[in-house]
Amino acid sequence: MLAIIVLALIVGFAVYQQDLVLAKGIYTIGVSPDAPPVEDKRFNIMQLDLENGLAALQDGTIDLYLWPGHVFATSAPRSQYATSALKQYLEEAELVRISQEYDIDSAFPLRVEVRELEVSKSRMSSRDTLSLSEIIDSSKPAVVSEGEPVPPGPVLPITSTPDTGNGAGEASNAAADKPEPGSQSSMTDQAVRDQLQNLGGTGGLPAFKAEFVSDEDIIVPSLMDPPTPLAQVILAFLYVIPLFFVSVFFTSSFMEEKTNRKLVILMSAPVTPLQVIFGKMLPYLGYAIVCIIGITLLLGGNVPLGLAIFIPVMLFIMAIYLMVALLYRTFKDQTFFSVLAVWVITAYLVAPAMFSGVSNLSYISPLTLAVQMYRGESFGVTEYLLSTMPMYLLFVIAVFLGTRMFNEEFLMGFRPLHRKISEAIALAINPNHLNLSVFFLSLCVIPLVFMVQLASIVMASNLPMPASLWALFAISVVVEEIAKSVGVAVLLKNGLVASRRALILLCFASALGFLLGEKLLLYLALSVVSQSMFMDALFSSGLLFAPLAMHFVATSVVCLATSRFGTRFYPLAIVAGSILHALYNLYVIGELF
Amino acid sequence: MRTFFTLVKRELKSIKREKTILLAILIQFLIASFSSVILVGVMSFYDPASIGQNTRVTLDVGVVGDTDGSFTQLLSQTGRFPISIYADAETAEQAFQEGQIDTVVYVPEPTEGVVEMKLILPTVDTEKTLILMVLNEPLKEYEDYLRALNGVELNYKGIEGKPHTNYEFLYSVIVPILMLFPAFIAGSIVVDTVSEEMENKTLDTLWSAPVSLNQVFGSKVFAAILAAILQCALWAVLLRFNNFSIANLGLVLLLSAIIAGMISFGAAIVALYFKDRERAQFVYSMTLVAVGGVAYFIEPSPFSLLTRLATNDHYVGLPQVMLYLIPLVLAAAAFTLVSRKLVLARA
Repeated sequence: MLAIIVLALIVGFAVYQQDLVLAKGIYTIGVSPDAPPVEDKRFNIMQLDLENGLAALQDGTIDLYLWPGHVFATSAPRSQYATSALKQYLEEAELVRISQEYDIDSAFPLRVEVRELEVSKSRMSSRDTLSLSEIIDSSKPAVVSEGEPVPPGPVLPITSTPDTGNGAGEASNAAADKPEPGSQSSMTDQAVRDQLQNLGGTGGLPAFKAEFVSDEDIIVPSLMDPPTPLAQVILAFLYVIPLFFVSVFFTSSFMEEKTNRKLVILMSAPVTPLQVIFGKMLPYLGYAIVCIIGITLLLGGNVPLGLAIFIPVMLFIMAIYLMVALLYRTFKDQTFFSVLAVWVITAYLVAPAMFSGVSNLSYISPLTLAVQMYRGESFGVTEYLLSTMPMYLLFVIAVFLGTRMFNEEFLMGFRPLHRKISEAIALAINPNHLNLSVFFLSLCVIPLVFMVQLASIVMASNLPMPASLWALFAISVVVEEIAKSVGVAVLLKNGLVASRRALILLCFASALGFLLGEKLLLYLALSVVSQSMFMDALFSSGLLFAPLAMHFVATSVVCLATSRFGTRFYPLAIVAGSILHALYNLYVIGELF
Repeated sequence: MRTFFTLVKRELKSIKREKTILLAILIQFLIASFSSVILVGVMSFYDPASIGQNTRVTLDVGVVGDTDGSFTQLLSQTGRFPISIYADAETAEQAFQEGQIDTVVYVPEPTEGVVEMKLILPTVDTEKTLILMVLNEPLKEYEDYLRALNGVELNYKGIEGKPHTNYEFLYSVIVPILMLFPAFIAGSIVVDTVSEEMENKTLDTLWSAPVSLNQVFGSKVFAAILAAILQCALWAVLLRFNNFSIANLGLVLLLSAIIAGMISFGAAIVALYFKDRERAQFVYSMTLVAVGGVAYFIEPSPFSLLTRLATNDHYVGLPQVMLYLIPLVLAAAAFTLVSRKLVLARA
């Protein structure tokens, strides 16, 4: 078994060394014998002279024909794509050529020195909205808050004369190293040489490097690599794979004891469910922590920081797999749900991290923090809390639910999923403290609601602009209404609500719990993702009593309707509550803008 | 043969009964429909330059210097930069700090030799990145202009084509993933059903039935392959809805089915050997990773063959697909030979 793991690692390493070209041989091109060689694995090369080459192009057996200094193509889409791909290759090849044929100052005459300058605070926040809107295509005029004095910023480090050497940068440490004016150009020459080193990597994937080009002071436009965190995201993802394996083993062992009925025996033993769950989980958590430490050491990262980032990720994955193990009975179910969980978790972790440095929304995934760690950048406590808090909480909730569900009837019963979930909720509620239970239930579903709503942002951005905003709006309202009322609805179904007055009280408890959680989250979110229209739509902000009243009224409508017409009409009741909720949100947004 | 198909039907029914597979497909579909946010992110992995092209952001650029106006002209050609020209650095700085402009470019006199431009960017990381990416294209053109002043000419400047990133990404990443994923699931199903049979000892009852061992397991493999083909066909239809067609669909499906068959027979052997599900699944997935890695070096590799078939490459067709029948036949033969032995070798 170990041999297979080693083999898999070796093969993976070999593929990685061969710099994986994904679109290997996607185009077939004809190349004239005296044209420069094309060394790009995307192209299948055929040596053809001009006459045969043009004939082959006419027949469509090649996608384009390369003749020294010229590219012949047809109007067929494939040919056009091939042309564009070849253009990308040739541009780079030409840069290599001129860097060899000419001196470096003629070949790369333009050097751009990048300086950073503080902008006043209000402007920054509105620009944040813009970078967010750039992704989701909304453009909102900047809201400039007044009363904030423009800080006496540093003198703009440029002079209006073309003389560049002196005075150019007390701020720039690079320039400070070179006091005499003449050395400036030799320093930029060095930067050009460094960046030329990176050139020549051909193919689809950019070269694997830990450095981040935009951090450099000197930019040569034709040599500038766009800053994708690819390398770092891959590094971060290296952690997730072993965590998945460990979790799958945990689920499997849990399932096995479940089917063997060993768990039933454990239930009669004098141990609490919490002890059983943690007892089963701890060895796996131990493995996972060892993995995290090992990988961090291997990659040369900071171990405490690595643990701080990946322990919540580990708990998040464990929480989901614990639920899979508790809710499902057969192996086939479990396989499918494991596959599904892998997809969902991967998407949730990796997709935002790809935007690290591009959008602040990327902080919803802890992998972004890992990316920053490996880039040598720092992040604040609020960023850490925003990305990891939901994960910690989800774990606590999962374990709590696990202890509540830990009875023979629930674990062994075959029931459809929605009934299992409603039973789980019923088990989570303490019948002696209904109001308190509902309050905490509403408080605790907040991370879940947050995750669903963030996922819905991603999904909704599929749609064209006004529609996506409306869809998002609708989804978030419905999700919130369900989250608030589901506990009460389950109580209604089980006939645990004595009177209408008790029902109203429950609704109030639920609304209060939800509001508290919402405000806590909002406080965290706003400090990272600065106020944007989407956040307003999701978590209507500002007032305190109005939203409480709104949550209370909407939830009461849902619950009263459910109590009056029965749980079969629960979906309809949700719609009614959602409409009320939506009207309120619209009103608030109307007030804000 | 009839008993075989009865068994296949039974297996298919049991797969269909699992509502979870529908859910799994649905989630895959949502992910595959690739909401534009994810797609932009994934594409930026594939070709980082596409971020700059995909953004529709307009930047307010402040220009200082640029005495002959050549840089300003290049900027205005793109039509996405409202330009403000400032006489000196102080006014530009003030405008920048008041937030009237996003960036300040200082352009010295264009001369022979090195020209050192200065770019003032905000300190916020996200904005810095975005501005750099969006400004890259006009800066490159200005660089070419300066190269010409130095007597350096780049060849192949005029060629244009349709942007290839999307095309390459969809055909070389999405299509192979979608066509091979069902095959991986098929193998996983086979591991589950076979090891379940072994663990629950339900085989003992089958000994007395008038079916052979290979029929029983063969029907499981066959059902898994059928499910895989169905999923692949579903993907093809969904992609078609997104205006994205797969050429040589028949051959693409055939190749996917052959690969699903290979994987399923292999999975069945693994499951029979280990007999317990957990170890079998682990070994199965590890072997899959290893085999997939090795397969990348085969010429044409299954991934690249799928890509080339789907893009209607002139040089691949039925013969290349048929080559893959060889390992399938070998896997099937190996399975029929060892299945009985493995079942009898009870742990």
